[in-house]
Amino acid sequence: MSILTGKGITKVYGGNEVLHGIDLELESGKIYGLIGRNGAGKTTLLSILTSHNSATAGTVTFDGEPVWENPKVLEHLCFARELNQMLGVSTTGALKVKEYLRIASVYLPHWNQELADRLIKEFGLEQKKRLNKLSKGMLSMVTIIVALASKAEFTFLDEPVAGLDVVARERFYQLLMEEYTQTGRTFVISTHIIEEAADVFEEVIMVDKGTVLLKENTQDLLDRAYHISGHKDEVEKACSFLETHHEETLGRSKGVTVLLEPGQKLPEGCDISIQKLNLQKVFVALCGEGE
Amino acid sequence: MIEILTQEKSIYIQIKEMIENDILRDILLEEERVSSTNELAKLYAINPATAAKGVNLLVDEGILYKKRGIGMFVTTGAKGKIMEKRKKHFYDDYVKSLLAEAVSLGITKEELIAMIEGGED
Repeated sequence: MSILTGKGITKVYGGNEVLHGIDLELESGKIYGLIGRNGAGKTTLLSILTSHNSATAGTVTFDGEPVWENPKVLEHLCFARELNQMLGVSTTGALKVKEYLRIASVYLPHWNQELADRLIKEFGLEQKKRLNKLSKGMLSMVTIIVALASKAEFTFLDEPVAGLDVVARERFYQLLMEEYTQTGRTFVISTHIIEEAADVFEEVIMVDKGTVLLKENTQDLLDRAYHISGHKDEVEKACSFLETHHEETLGRSKGVTVLLEPGQKLPEGCDISIQKLNLQKVFVALCGEGE
Repeated sequence: MIEILTQEKSIYIQIKEMIENDILRDILLEEERVSSTNELAKLYAINPATAAKGVNLLVDEGILYKKRGIGMFVTTGAKGKIMEKRKKHFYDDYVKSLLAEAVSLGITKEELIAMIEGGED
């Protein structure tokens, strides 16, 4: 059982602090979902956790060993970056799919070529095509192949489903569960398509404006999140002792998102509507405040 | 176990109810092995820990039992237990909301009884 620990991770880009002292502990054998708005710092965080980027301050350790430029640790980590069509004429962009995967296999000592070949065939990727000639969806397939075939104990996927059609996305979650149930590898997955991924995440990590807002078992979070609505006076009376977010009013009616703390119960005896929320709604309520 | 997961309820509650439905409909028979949490995870693309949460609720209720190293099995008498439990909840789950809606629409007791009896045809 391994633990990847980040302590006080801070990152400054040209005087602009984008990560503000993040503490994070990732245990082996879990699937984590990393969600946050554009520019929240997800990719920077993932790249620092995997030593693809340096932290301005703070440490990352794997079972107590520093991760930074430590080959003994790095063989257990894989960061499958998001590839985008901006690769253009860069050196990476000019690589053929086959060449890119070959380079990945050199850097990832536990690489499984058989699995990579099977996935290339399943996705129907043309190995001789250059990366800058691939569609967004096909680039995501390359990211997914690198992640799964890496066989790394801790695998980080940055936006693996961006641009994939819905059938391919469902297939990805299935492939992920096949790999996970067979091996128990740890996966950390960032995504903007929250609702369809919610069921695969054992834990969800919400990042907002360079800090970790919340890290919690997904089902536990959903079990304590409710939307309460009704007459403004009734809602205010019902929620006076509760943690509320994302208040909305329309005439005399009011709606709020409530997160119950341990030991708290839903209000009783009030004339209000109480509804369950999905992960996407909880995310909007917590990260969309002030808009 | 081929029902579709929806957003209305927690996933683990749905997994639990699907297994119960399969037992009620004799799709799963008593003393038969239930799909493993890994099999459920792959079928529905859900986290195995979530599937396990649903299955464990049924173990707590004595509807499933664990055979070490083999898997989960349906308890003898499980079907009766589920029916009894659902009958107990029938008033709260269905009758209460039926009556509340009837009252707000001004449907009388007699009309309601006539509807229920008429529905049998």
